[in-house]
Amino acid sequence: MLPDEILERLNAEFPSREQQIQQLFALYSQHLPSPPLLVAHGLTATGKSSIIRAYLKVSGIPFAIVNSRECITGRHLLERIVASCLDALDDFDGGRIDRRPFARTENLSALAVNLQRLFGGRAKFVVVLDGVDAQREAPPTLLPALARFGEMIPNLSLILTATLPLTTALHKPGIPHLHFPPYSRSSLLTILSMHPPKIFLMPPSAEQFPDYTADLAAEDDAWLWGRFLGAVYDSLSKHTGRDLISFKLCAMRMWRPFVDPVIKGQFGTRDFSRLMVNRRFLFQMEDGVLDKIISAEPPAGAGTSASLIEKKRSRAVVHSLPYYTTHLLIAAYLASYNPSRTDVTYFMKHTDKRRNKRRAHSASALGVTKSKHRKIPRHLLTPSPFALDRLLAVFRALIEGTVPQVADLLTQVGTLTSMRLLVRVGGAGAADVLDPGARWRVNFSWEYVRALGRSVNVEVGEYLVGGVD
Amino acid sequence: MEHERCYIYTPPESEGRSSKRQRTRKRDPQPQRAERLATYREIWAQQEDRIQVLSFPLFSMRMSKQYQAALEEADSATQEKIINFVAASTRAEDEPQLSIPTGLVVAGPSIASHGPFFVRLGQRIKEETNSRYAILTSGESPNLKTLLKNLITKITSRIDDDDEELGRPTTSSRKGLKLLNFDLGHVQEWQKMNRVESIVIAIQDSEAFDTGILIELIDLLFSWLDRLPLVLLFGIATSAESFEDRLSGKSLRYLEGQKFDVTQSDEIIEKLFSATIARADVRLRIGPGLSRRILDRQKDHVQNVQDFVDGLKYAYISHFYASYPTVFLQEGLAFEDLSSDVFEAVRNLPSFRRWVEGLLDDRRTHDVRKLLDSDQYLYEKIIEYMDRGQLALSMLSQAVILLTCIREALHMTPQIRLSTIWTRAISGELLGAPLLRETMLTVKKTSSDKLAHVLASLKELDSDENYVSLESFQQELNNLIENNKNSTPLRSQDDVRNESLRTTVVAQKVLLSKHKAALSEQDKAYSDLVAHFHDRLEAYFNAAFVDPRTLFLSEIFMYDLKSPHTEVFQPRPRFAIERALASPHDYLGCDCCGGDQDEATLSATLPATAVLYQLYLNAGALINVSDLWSAFNVMVGDKDAEDESKTMALFQRALAELKNLGMVKPSRKKTDHIAKAMWKGL
Repeated sequence: MLPDEILERLNAEFPSREQQIQQLFALYSQHLPSPPLLVAHGLTATGKSSIIRAYLKVSGIPFAIVNSRECITGRHLLERIVASCLDALDDFDGGRIDRRPFARTENLSALAVNLQRLFGGRAKFVVVLDGVDAQREAPPTLLPALARFGEMIPNLSLILTATLPLTTALHKPGIPHLHFPPYSRSSLLTILSMHPPKIFLMPPSAEQFPDYTADLAAEDDAWLWGRFLGAVYDSLSKHTGRDLISFKLCAMRMWRPFVDPVIKGQFGTRDFSRLMVNRRFLFQMEDGVLDKIISAEPPAGAGTSASLIEKKRSRAVVHSLPYYTTHLLIAAYLASYNPSRTDVTYFMKHTDKRRNKRRAHSASALGVTKSKHRKIPRHLLTPSPFALDRLLAVFRALIEGTVPQVADLLTQVGTLTSMRLLVRVGGAGAADVLDPGARWRVNFSWEYVRALGRSVNVEVGEYLVGGVD
Repeated sequence: MEHERCYIYTPPESEGRSSKRQRTRKRDPQPQRAERLATYREIWAQQEDRIQVLSFPLFSMRMSKQYQAALEEADSATQEKIINFVAASTRAEDEPQLSIPTGLVVAGPSIASHGPFFVRLGQRIKEETNSRYAILTSGESPNLKTLLKNLITKITSRIDDDDEELGRPTTSSRKGLKLLNFDLGHVQEWQKMNRVESIVIAIQDSEAFDTGILIELIDLLFSWLDRLPLVLLFGIATSAESFEDRLSGKSLRYLEGQKFDVTQSDEIIEKLFSATIARADVRLRIGPGLSRRILDRQKDHVQNVQDFVDGLKYAYISHFYASYPTVFLQEGLAFEDLSSDVFEAVRNLPSFRRWVEGLLDDRRTHDVRKLLDSDQYLYEKIIEYMDRGQLALSMLSQAVILLTCIREALHMTPQIRLSTIWTRAISGELLGAPLLRETMLTVKKTSSDKLAHVLASLKELDSDENYVSLESFQQELNNLIENNKNSTPLRSQDDVRNESLRTTVVAQKVLLSKHKAALSEQDKAYSDLVAHFHDRLEAYFNAAFVDPRTLFLSEIFMYDLKSPHTEVFQPRPRFAIERALASPHDYLGCDCCGGDQDEATLSATLPATAVLYQLYLNAGALINVSDLWSAFNVMVGDKDAEDESKTMALFQRALAELKNLGMVKPSRKKTDHIAKAMWKGL
């Protein structure tokens, strides 16, 4: 392939990356010498890996790409480098290299030796280490050593991709860096407009609209999609996630509900402004921006407020727990958020006098917040740890009547811990399960415990110091 | 003595205790255990079949028709959905996948049942789709490396899932190069050879996993997605939302899928209850106390199907193990098979005594003498009364099912579950209870359309007992409804809408009188029908709801002992320790620290730890050791002796024991103080 053709093709495939492709083209060509090390850096979704891969594929230089994400340890990375170099050379030459000498690559020196042996007397070879800054359990000398590999192995050129420029980590001056800046608004729109999704998943019936051809439909798709993208970017993505992936996901999530009236026949395909007004609630809600595992079903009709309330209610639904488990959780919350010195006021079998005192206490607490320094409501702070006996004591104070001291209660504490609703916290004996001094902390929010309490007719707010508004 | 008004009864003086009778022959402590074991096995096998049909539908090949409906409702419906999901996620072959197909299986808070659920799910997935299935639990995944090692072992080990690690390519050599044992390349090679459609990785207890590990795992699996057809399943105990909240936005983007809700375990328990305990044809019943206990435990403490089944099984085992007369539950038992011991045992049953006393009241002394003397006669009676008792109990269960069905058909509130009604019925308190009365009154008042509904649903029960001639009732009702020309349904005379209150003022007094509206001919006919139906039902319920505990031999066909069950399933370890320390004479049984004293009183004869424990209980949260020692010395120490070393040794040992039990711990808050770590009664 001619160099110009390569450039043209890559530029068509990756718009608004001309400069980077040009640089790659200048640095890595078959005949000219290449730098021993190049750092390609840029934020996520700026085309680093895909452009390098695509360029190397068409350039005709033998290369190997190792993804650091897939390497669990530093040694794993080294082994993978050797293995993929061998694979790449096999593919390139069509021959078989005897692999027995390369069976082990325990450390960086072994890697250097292996690569030296492998590339001795060969043409240029490019190794790409993708995302090398996120390598797990990387040896501290990994990056500086890699920077100096070019001195030992003359025909090896390394490309490291990273999020930030690796200026200090390499301990070597004069390393060429190739920056992939984030896409601007116009380039984002250009890239996403390349493949517009369809408005009509099923083409409209041929008898009813005989002159609505596939070409016409594609034209409509592109037109509406382009307008829609601009609106999504300006209203949502600009403020929430400007990278390509977030933007694309956001637009894809909103596309189906957005074109819904068009499919139903309420609006024509080019009624963009009326469509915007009709579907404006899509741009007012956060649903398009949030990442979710379960793809949300499109909200039905325009009755948005009702469905919103319903959605909120359904989110607060709590999986039904056994009766005492629920009380244990409530007790744990109270033990976490109430200071232990107030327990006497709140949980003693009190007379009416004391109840009044309790109310006065919370009122005075409110008074303090107004006059002097603002206090953060307790339920917004981190929960404090409590001992197991305090939890059990609060639990017994909450429950009317007596509960036998059965082992089931402790089983429940164990179950709640493995569900991570209660968390064991630090201390010296954290590893010892039977340590009597073990302390616990709750791991759920005020909304959760309030819903729990209401399911068993306990108003948790009444027991919480300071009260909750 | 007649001349004395009152006298003091002096029992004849005995010389100490009565002399023991010499044992003349060797006694078998467990007579006919083999027979009882066989009977137990037979009866339990029937129950187990029912349980398996209900909760583990796959394993049971003997699937009877009547359970089909229940089966569909149990978790197989969810499993079906998950399998469809797995099958659907394998379709996209060539196009690059943007995210890992993920199933969020919300399995509810009964963690113990997650394991069996995922195992069953795996069996079905393997059978119905061409995929590989691996379960990961948090216990075996403390870090990413171990997790991957386990995963690789599980995926690449031999197809028949033996626990032994057969044929595991620990050091598979890829063209001469060794892969590290946590490299997913192993799976890739395995996939090259086996070509499965999907590799399903089930993460059983996602809550217990470290969030960091989960995020890294998702990240890693996503980067392998172009080479491996992965499907993830997460078992979730709390809610899908809280699971999503734990993951970072980046990992959420890598996942896409559906949520599956597993049937709530209380519904499964209800089904199991009606299939095992409250059935008409069960030979051994669980009594009211025990079934209430089992149900309450499920409601209050744990929700666990396995626990329920275990409790039931244990009850069956202990019944057959501990009671010799249970041998009569064996079918086709001949008189010759039995020894005279068993008849002696039956004669000692309380229900036998009650029965005999009843006979005596009827002045049938001859029968009683025969019962006491002749084993043969008693045997015949036992066989007869066993059948009668079984019949009575199955009638009772039938009546309970009927009652529940009527309540359901009439949409009566509050909805009371079959298990509740059954427990009340078997404890004999249903007859005359408001629940029954209310139901019967409602039956009396029903209009014709509702009654038709009731009759239809009763017919679905298809019980073989002909308590009411349903057919004729239905026929008559249909005739009436056909003749009814009005659009409104027929009403009975007791219906409130046929009554009106009439106010009359006579001599400045207001008289309220109820007045029945004039009934049409059809309504009258319908009223007669309803009244007839009501009377028949009432008669049936009156006959059915007996107190089973009054039946002769109820000890044999009903098991209702609290003792071994609570000790086994609801032990009280903390209470036991506290009691042993607080009142050691309960255990020691010695005279010196006798039981007549108050519990809190201290005496020097108590074990040193118990003395110290009492002092400990009276102290505050921080205890000065020196004070504790002086109090202890006053209690235990010899007043005259100068040498305190022996007392000190006792004190130190007692304190060390308390520390060992975790009751005290050293405190840094105050010098020379220890902190109290446990309070009594929690």
